[in-house]
Amino acid sequence: MSLIEVKNVIKEYETAHALRGVSMDVDKGQWVNIMGASGSGKSTLLNIIGGLDNASSGDVLINSTNIESLTEDELALFRREKVGFIFQQSHLIPYLTALENVMLAQYFHSLADENEAAEALKRVGLGQRLKHRPSQLSGGEQQRICIARALINSPEILLADEPTGNLDRENTKIILELLKSLHNEDHFTIVLVTHDPFVSGWGERTLMMEDGHITGDEVIKERDQGN
Amino acid sequence: MKRNWFLYFFKKSVSQRKGRIIIASLSVMLAVAIVTGLFGITSGIKDKLGSELKAYGANVIVTSGKGEYLDYDLLERILNLDGVEHALGQVLGQAFIKKESVEVIGLEMGSMRESGWRLDGSWPQNEREIIAGNNLKEALQIKQGENISLQNEGRNLELTVSGFIERGGPEDNAFIVSIPQAWELMGIEGKLSVFLLRNKSGDLDKISSRIQNMLPEASVKTLRQVAVAEASLLGKMQMLMILVTVVVFFAAVVSIMSTMGANVLERREEIGLMKAIGATRNNIRIFYIAEALIIGLTGGAAGFLLGYLFTQAVSWGAFDSFIKVPLYLSLLSVAVGVIISLIASHFPVGDALKYNPAVILREE
Repeated sequence: MSLIEVKNVIKEYETAHALRGVSMDVDKGQWVNIMGASGSGKSTLLNIIGGLDNASSGDVLINSTNIESLTEDELALFRREKVGFIFQQSHLIPYLTALENVMLAQYFHSLADENEAAEALKRVGLGQRLKHRPSQLSGGEQQRICIARALINSPEILLADEPTGNLDRENTKIILELLKSLHNEDHFTIVLVTHDPFVSGWGERTLMMEDGHITGDEVIKERDQGN
Repeated sequence: MKRNWFLYFFKKSVSQRKGRIIIASLSVMLAVAIVTGLFGITSGIKDKLGSELKAYGANVIVTSGKGEYLDYDLLERILNLDGVEHALGQVLGQAFIKKESVEVIGLEMGSMRESGWRLDGSWPQNEREIIAGNNLKEALQIKQGENISLQNEGRNLELTVSGFIERGGPEDNAFIVSIPQAWELMGIEGKLSVFLLRNKSGDLDKISSRIQNMLPEASVKTLRQVAVAEASLLGKMQMLMILVTVVVFFAAVVSIMSTMGANVLERREEIGLMKAIGATRNNIRIFYIAEALIIGLTGGAAGFLLGYLFTQAVSWGAFDSFIKVPLYLSLLSVAVGVIISLIASHFPVGDALKYNPAVILREE
């Protein structure tokens, strides 16, 4: 059964159409990439799946719940319980340490637990950087904090919007290896948006987007990954 | 734990924007100081001015109208009339000292002590002590503690001058004696020359006609200028205070609104991120309300202290004495500070809650 079902979603702005009737589904535990050029609508689709934005029409079902019918506060609860986000810019709070940035997500979810947050950072290889502020860390390390923050509350879905967009190839590979390893261990569902063919080679499936439409859907073979 | 983390995060968040918080608190402080100061001065001055004006005398004068005396018992009845704030009787007469003719005013010494007249020396401690008008000190070459002899139509009183008063009126040229002393000197026991009344604000005409009805033969004169000037001055001061308070209140609200607006704008990314990781509108609102409370409480408390000092400085300059500021004014000041801060935060926080995280997080 599909964890995510997107049915004929349209997103209109005053002067443009971002999505023109998109339908797709993602199985539980699947890693799906959405690839397309800038302006193709892939980030808009990701934000709608994550409840950060609303569709103009259409339905988005997560675990059979139509999130388009939720109120703003219900959407906030949905995000804290079900979704972890990783953004292109790390969006870390500059005056908090790596540990505190992760604990902030715990605070909004339930209780801030320092040991649990430290463990999450150790899993992403930042066990020695707990007390560092974002400005004292490299771009790759900042993205690893974001991964720890996104996964700290054990979400069902990890939504990543160009997570390696600001990183060089070496750091990109480190992040993708880390995601792959965590995905293999925890089996959460990943939807990752990218315009980089190298990144879209990772995961299990890639959807192609163009001008607000899904134009392709291909399964990635295991041997292609990382090439 | 959740609350502790909130306080921890809030403290860190506030410490990042100390400058803005201080500026906003200063705005609240200045507004509260001005409002508190004006409020304190107005309420204090009302009392002070009332007693100062009392020192200038009554605003209703009752005499017999036929050159005769009034019965002392009538004074009690007049005092019980509705609208009479204060009434005292005086015996006016003349006596001789060292063959010089001088005015003698007999009145109740207790009321004179409360009238605010300036005294050089001490108030009479026994029935043989009297007060002399300041001008007599030089005219008759008398000193404090000196024994004098007042004579009138064969009656003679041996008295001691305990002090000199100055008020810029006829009393400065007279001996002020007690009513029993005046009766003894004049030989008119149980009689008064004049009743001097002070009405409660705004009742001048009514009280005047009430007395006239009670004493149809008597002459009742009102000193309208004093009463009207007093009411008018206090009224104008209150209007000024209200006007300044409103202006200052709005100025403070606008100033803090602009600071809070800049604060919200500066924290757009933070707000977007909080929403993305599951913060509800209330989770976000509580940060700003807590910040507004800090600004309001610190600004309000500091504003009260500043306003208090301002009030006392003005009072000392104008009356050579301090004003008693009521305790509730301190609580009121802090409450005003918090209200200003919360009102000023309302719209910027409303903007923050409307932010679409998808838009903000893509912008950055």
